[in-house]
Amino acid sequence: MQWIANLDREWKTGWAFALPGFSALAIVMGFPLIYAALLAFSSQTLLHPELSPFIGLANFASVMGDQRFWDATRLTVVYSVVTVAGEFLIGLGIALLLNRTVRTKPIYFAILTIPMAMSPVSVSLIWRMLLQPNLGIANHLLEVGGLPRVDWLGSPALALWTMAAIDIWQQMSFVVLILAAGLAALPQDPYEAAEVDGASSLQQFWYITLPMLRPVAMITVVIQLINEFRTYDLPYVLTKGGPGTSTEVLSFFAYRRAFLGLSLNEGSAASFVLLLVVLAMTVVFFSLLERRR
Amino acid sequence: MLRTYKLLAGASLGALIAMTGMARADGVTLRALMEDVPETQIIESMLPDFEKQTGIHVEFEKIGYGDMHDKLVAQLTAPESFYNLLEVDFLWAGEFPKAGWLVDLKPLIEQSKYDTSAFIPSTFTLLGGTASDTKLLPMYNYSMGLIYRTDLLNDAKLKDSYKAQFKTDLAPPKTLEEYVQIAKFMKANAGVAGAAMQGQRGDPNSMEFSNYLFSAGGSYVDGSGKVTLDSAEGKKALDLYVDNIQNGAQQGALSATLDDTLRLMCSGEAFSMVTYWWMLPQIDNAAKCPKAAGKVTLAPMPGGSGESGGWGWGIPKNTSAESQAAAWTFMQWVQSKEISVQRALKGHAPVRADVYENAEVLAKYPYYKSAMDIVSGGKSFPIFTYSAQYEDTLGAQLSLAAGGQAKSEDALKAAAKGLEDLMKK
Repeated sequence: MQWIANLDREWKTGWAFALPGFSALAIVMGFPLIYAALLAFSSQTLLHPELSPFIGLANFASVMGDQRFWDATRLTVVYSVVTVAGEFLIGLGIALLLNRTVRTKPIYFAILTIPMAMSPVSVSLIWRMLLQPNLGIANHLLEVGGLPRVDWLGSPALALWTMAAIDIWQQMSFVVLILAAGLAALPQDPYEAAEVDGASSLQQFWYITLPMLRPVAMITVVIQLINEFRTYDLPYVLTKGGPGTSTEVLSFFAYRRAFLGLSLNEGSAASFVLLLVVLAMTVVFFSLLERRR
Repeated sequence: MLRTYKLLAGASLGALIAMTGMARADGVTLRALMEDVPETQIIESMLPDFEKQTGIHVEFEKIGYGDMHDKLVAQLTAPESFYNLLEVDFLWAGEFPKAGWLVDLKPLIEQSKYDTSAFIPSTFTLLGGTASDTKLLPMYNYSMGLIYRTDLLNDAKLKDSYKAQFKTDLAPPKTLEEYVQIAKFMKANAGVAGAAMQGQRGDPNSMEFSNYLFSAGGSYVDGSGKVTLDSAEGKKALDLYVDNIQNGAQQGALSATLDDTLRLMCSGEAFSMVTYWWMLPQIDNAAKCPKAAGKVTLAPMPGGSGESGGWGWGIPKNTSAESQAAAWTFMQWVQSKEISVQRALKGHAPVRADVYENAEVLAKYPYYKSAMDIVSGGKSFPIFTYSAQYEDTLGAQLSLAAGGQAKSEDALKAAAKGLEDLMKK
């Protein structure tokens, strides 16, 4: 134990403070992750939860040999890109507008926080009722306006986009809050200099706001991409992956394998693929962010 | 002497308990996850009587069907289940016993001399029960039939128009083709959806399609266990199902569940629905559904056979002996003739033949005679370990076909192969 005594005091203090946090993380995140990894490489299922021999990559092969896994992966990528783009663009617009508002800003923020504070299941149920094709208020309003009813969740061509719109509605407020905080923290000197040089508002946004906001924006995008890749509640409540397989995203695919197929091991394997994709994406985004700095 | 009296008193009480089969178990709480349907509400309204008799407190957690399986599986695989009384769908009657999650009821039935002879035999076999093995006690049946609007079927203008178009009378359908034709006609001419269809992928569309399949003379497997879904009858059933979803049903049928179809029928916006027979008293209720009450009737599926399903009571193994005993006490009580008749008078779908024959029940609900025909003529979705997964596999293919994303022959082939694969698993 001499080596502990030799350690720098500051280093020891640092670890002493970090240890409770690391311990909590190890219990809350580490244990389930390790357990899921063990499951993904074992033959254990809900029907045979006893001794589970190591079976290598068989679960991964089984999952990846299913065409629906690739369909779900493609759908997840499309869904995530569309929703994050929507959340970011609309969120940035609202954040910019709010940046100019001073007196009523707290009221706007209070309203914007409501969707964020709601559980996705409640949001899905509410929207499911609003969009009910025959008795829902959305189609009623369309009819009042002389427009035809829309089959929001029952049309294979429309269901995914309806789900994406609901997701954007809910998640956008988080983006607004983060970007608004980022905008409020930007220094004013460059804008004053630009004003003196006669730069237009658009030029100021393009050459000053956007570059300075980039770190906050990148982090927001990464967080939201991770969120969207994991989307499960919305398809579960709204469509059960249908019509057909048109809203079957990867997390729903993993759920089906685990709980309907009674194969926790294959469900874990699918979840690990999802985790690897998200990790790879996060690494790429952060390395890009570092390079730009 | 006092000791002798105490012993005699104790023995008498024991004998009484043995005779009635009702053990008092003050302080025990039974918790059950229940589907939020009228049947659950009927039983719930009677629970205070049970608690008064036995001292056992019963709590129902009511949720939608779609969330039940996963919640139950999570508890049944835990070291100790939160739910110590189970409501088990027949679709899980292959999986739960196979996984070893349920207490065998046979010894309990024998010990308590519980008379099961009044139960309709098919309600036991539907839940995987055999002469030597009983894991589930039938709770209620949900055989399916056709509910339709008599006012629209008897409307003079519609009758004339139908005759002019099809050269035949507008009358209750005798075949599946006739039913789909009438549904499409109603949608085009009566200003309502011809059929309120529950086309959401999974349990809703699998259950609904099964009626079309059986009605068309098809089957999932034959007597030897060979998959027979991909047949001429299967193709006919799927083509008619797709035709009805696309041309006879309400808008949004592909995402609709049982609740959606009930609301539609209740609001007077649909001509018919293929559904559980006990939905009739819900729709034929002037207080709840004023626009449809008094205008609806029930019939077996055209062609004779519809889907027959049912729920059973079970006891999880991973619970205490005390709560298991209390659960068995509850099951005996709730399925007794006396309580079953009381439940039937409130709209229960019986599993005991003596309740269908009860004069008081028939006087209040004459259509229980039709219900008996529906129950006895019903056929079952394949019950095996992976029935729940098969519902999803079949549901996805039906949904693809109904949404125009797959040809019916391809969807049928994929559904048949999915069944073969899961049965071999």
